[in-house]
Amino acid sequence: MTRVVRASLLAMCLALPALPADTCATCHSKEAQSQPHTAMGIGIQLPADQVVLKQHSGLSFQANGYKYVIENKDGVNMYTVSDGTGSLTLPIRYAFGVSSQTFVLEHNGHYYESLVSYYPSAEGLAITMGSERLRPHSLIEAMGREAPDEEIVSCFGCHSSGGVNQGKLTLPSMKPGLDCEHCHSGATAHQEAIAQGKPTHTPKKLGDMPAEDMSEFCGSCHRTWNTVVRMRTWGEVNVRFQPYRLANSKCFLGNDKRISCTACHNPHANLVRDDASYDHNCLACHAKSPSAAAAIQKSCPVSDRNCVSCHMQKVELPGSHSIFTDHQIRIVRAGDRYPN
Amino acid sequence: MRLEHTEMKVLALVFVSLIARASTFEELAAQATAAREANKTSQAIELYQQALHLKPAWKEGWWFLGTLSYDGDQYKTGARAFGEFVKLEDTAAAGWAFLGLCEFETGEYEHALQHTRRGIQIGSGLEPGIEQVLRFHEALLLTRLGLFDQAMPRFMPFVRRGLQDPTLISGVGLTALRRALLPKEIPASQQPLITATGQTACLWMAGDTTKTPPAFQALVKDYSSAPGVHYFYASYLLSFRPAEEAVVELRRELELNPRSPDARAMIALLMVRAGTSTTALPFAKQAAEDGPDSPMAQYTYGLILTSNGDLPHAIERLETAERLDPANIEYHMGLAGAYSKAGRHQDARRERSMSIAMAKEHESERE
Repeated sequence: MTRVVRASLLAMCLALPALPADTCATCHSKEAQSQPHTAMGIGIQLPADQVVLKQHSGLSFQANGYKYVIENKDGVNMYTVSDGTGSLTLPIRYAFGVSSQTFVLEHNGHYYESLVSYYPSAEGLAITMGSERLRPHSLIEAMGREAPDEEIVSCFGCHSSGGVNQGKLTLPSMKPGLDCEHCHSGATAHQEAIAQGKPTHTPKKLGDMPAEDMSEFCGSCHRTWNTVVRMRTWGEVNVRFQPYRLANSKCFLGNDKRISCTACHNPHANLVRDDASYDHNCLACHAKSPSAAAAIQKSCPVSDRNCVSCHMQKVELPGSHSIFTDHQIRIVRAGDRYPN
Repeated sequence: MRLEHTEMKVLALVFVSLIARASTFEELAAQATAAREANKTSQAIELYQQALHLKPAWKEGWWFLGTLSYDGDQYKTGARAFGEFVKLEDTAAAGWAFLGLCEFETGEYEHALQHTRRGIQIGSGLEPGIEQVLRFHEALLLTRLGLFDQAMPRFMPFVRRGLQDPTLISGVGLTALRRALLPKEIPASQQPLITATGQTACLWMAGDTTKTPPAFQALVKDYSSAPGVHYFYASYLLSFRPAEEAVVELRRELELNPRSPDARAMIALLMVRAGTSTTALPFAKQAAEDGPDSPMAQYTYGLILTSNGDLPHAIERLETAERLDPANIEYHMGLAGAYSKAGRHQDARRERSMSIAMAKEHESERE
């Protein structure tokens, strides 16, 4: 059998006639339709898409003797900082995040993390988390914190696709948000091969990964357990780093996929905030029924509903203007301090 | 009849013992104290020994016997005395400290490290000057035992204080070149290389960004064929240049020093970081074979085997690395991940708790 015939047969068997080479949606339509609208799918808003800022044009804020104003001028959001005698205005090219937004500003060939960010819960601007203690001495310092190359690479590496290549910033090819290839390595080659009727290796099915592998994978952006320990990030501030918190849970079983990130979270959809929707994940191990093969762990004597409302505390992180769910799953007792 | 040397010694001991029996413990203790206060060191040592023979639980006696021996360069006696002292008073930081310092002098380096660390760990009651001496000896011992990655940060506070001591510079130089020696063991022919390396390392550690680059260039030029120099330069490049430049230096190191497990392991680690674990595997394997006592080589191979899913062998290597260098937090973290993937949850939790405790301890030491 010739290679061409083999390839054609493969294409027929897979019911995959020649496909447009620019889409994964033909086969994975559900994921391809929902993912681009998620927080991970959006990642960064470019000037044309900065809906939040456009809706709130004229935002202003004062701190440390400086005044901040964000205004939309001719379709571009402009970030201005002034001290009463002078001012500095820069266009917001990159608004990171979807709900809360921090801006990456460019000035004289350097990148800065804006000193103020937009927070929906504050209904406006406030000091960017992590910069609360900075006391600027100039307009430039007041505008933002200069970010080292490594940090900027890391920001674009996690919030965009094609923005970083071999450890270097490649903004001309940057596309906001995470595309399929970002997580599914080999997806593009797979799709192109199918489009051409050639045999192809299917990219690794990520959902099959056990918890430890999955935490390492997602942790490349959300911080791995090792990264957090290396960063020496102790106290409530590490509540943002879910793989770290999860691995510290007594019920974390590294070789079991029932406690992996994707067991509870669908990365192709937005975060579900209904506590009850996670009950079945907890009950996959903590079911009461003695006949359930999964009932290998203790069951909860209080309830089998809304498990996370008790066992995964909500933590309001000072300066973040946000509430995070602590992924260190545990029995929380009154008066307990936040564990490490 | 002519007495042999050994027989004479036995007779002398019997004689001393008879004298001792002739005196009470109280009399001997008083005589020992008087001799010590009169700076009659040899006599005091002998009297303390006699008194302790009668009353081995006399803590003060062991302490003074130890300190007199240490001051008199009688380190073996000192080590024995402090060893007995800490058996009776195991929370006395100074006892452990001097025990470690005596063992340092007698060449019992593993015990010396263990005991100086115990002294530092207990901490309370140590004079600041003694604590600094201990910390400096800890750094020297780590280098002598081949635990270079732990030693370098221990030298950091001394370098940052701007000390220009030749022993410090040699210690730092040996560590940078990964030579498991003490400064006093450096062959005369090697001293210029070690000093030049130490000076360069001190500039880098002190954050002198003006003088560090030319110092490195001179070092690599002047000692281009000395083992360890290119590895050290690669470590420097890695802190601010693309990894490829470091790899070039590491390959040069391997040309000069083909069985350098650490250089090979470092190349493998950089390959892993670049996402090419498959290519890294043979490098790491070779490094581990060349360096059965190199914790870094064992760790690197273990790490790559973990990512390849060969967990039993990975754990074996990582446990070896941890046994060789139990104070390296990276080895505990690597092991935690491997245990977790292998379903050894209790072991993983233990290693994780240990890693967090170590990280917090390092942090408080830095503060």
